[in-house]
Amino acid sequence: MKMTKIYEGAYQWIMFGRDESKPDSIIDSNQYMVRTANRCLIMDPGGVELFAPMLAAVMHHAPVEQITDLFASHQDPDIVSSLGLWDQAVPHAKLHAPALWEGFIRHFGCNSIEYVGIPDNGGTIKLENAELQLIPAHYLHSSANFHVYDPQAKILMSGDVGAALEGPGAPMFVDKFDAHMEKMRYFHQRWMPSNQAKRIWIERVRMLDIEILAPQHGRMFKGDNVKRFLDWFEALQVGIAV
Amino acid sequence: MHPINKSSPSQFVAVASIASELSAVMEVAKEISLAAANAKAIAFRAGEKARGFQPITDFINELAKETIELINDFNGHALTFYKLTVSEHRIGDAYKRLELSSKLAQGAQYSHSLQASLDSSKIKMQDCRRQFKGHVMKLLDQLETVMHPARAARVIAANSRIEASQAGEYLQSLQAVAESVDNAAQVIHDNVQRCRSLLSVVVTV
Repeated sequence: MKMTKIYEGAYQWIMFGRDESKPDSIIDSNQYMVRTANRCLIMDPGGVELFAPMLAAVMHHAPVEQITDLFASHQDPDIVSSLGLWDQAVPHAKLHAPALWEGFIRHFGCNSIEYVGIPDNGGTIKLENAELQLIPAHYLHSSANFHVYDPQAKILMSGDVGAALEGPGAPMFVDKFDAHMEKMRYFHQRWMPSNQAKRIWIERVRMLDIEILAPQHGRMFKGDNVKRFLDWFEALQVGIAV
Repeated sequence: MHPINKSSPSQFVAVASIASELSAVMEVAKEISLAAANAKAIAFRAGEKARGFQPITDFINELAKETIELINDFNGHALTFYKLTVSEHRIGDAYKRLELSSKLAQGAQYSHSLQASLDSSKIKMQDCRRQFKGHVMKLLDQLETVMHPARAARVIAANSRIEASQAGEYLQSLQAVAESVDNAAQVIHDNVQRCRSLLSVVVTV
């Protein structure tokens, strides 16, 4: 599991991904962690197969008792099917996830962890000196879906938006945007169901000051590539299967 | 690595099979109850000729009721049994993956912090296994109890045949009742035996 520090300030953002030990048949995913002095939030902690390498990687940054918060952008198995395992490892933690999905996500096992349902209009997670905003991203692609924006670090964890399906050795950041477009096209056209939802999300996100757009699969976008991505996504017709 | 998690796919299949066998027993018990009602009607029509058969029909009905009650009670325990199987599987899997995580984290600054989670899940897993085994023993006892009415039904079927032989023109009808009770009792016996074998398998997996 590779670890990349993407923000270092009063606290840290760390990206985990490109797990070389994962079975080939499962999709690679990016996990993100915000580490403050005494607490950690892990975003989209991943699937069952990823649990052991992910937890081991986190141990390079924080002790297990300081993993106090988990966040699931939506209900998919690659996002949070490891929940039953985290439930054993960090029973004191809270899971912030869409309220709409509670009865579904609990199928993964959530006996000790407290499920904090996020209402449709979003909310915040206060992690010591980090105040993270939960931005609604409904229907992108899940019917109840949230992204995490950190105004201090200027990072938007954008779930499946901005994702690309790539090989395990892919770089962490998009370098040549034009070459990267084709890696994202089918994913967005097929997994994102609604042009209207896309348009509203883009309007909302353009009002944020974003230095890094951090998706759950593939490479992150930095600087001007964030704007390029939003322009590209705006022009893309999605929901092509019907 | 030593396979500490004992619950396996075959264990889940065994637990589901037990539920299925018991559901079949329930159906057979209901058939016995129906046979008893039928026998009662025939015995009533036969009057004096089937005087000895009449109390037997009540016995048959009681046995059917008793079996249905026992199976209902057993089903409640079977549900707990299934939940324990799931818990055991989950906690065993968590332990296995925490152990792997601990190995992968060797050399990491905070790897020692995993020990408490590892210890706690090991205790939970052992506790779950203990509960599971205890429950299997309880279920085996209950299955033995279900066998009692089935055995009694076979004796009653034999008596029914004797009584039927004195029922003149009702002989064939009453013998058919005795036959159906006997067959049903045999089916219950066989199904319960299969459940016992399945339980013995899961406890030794």
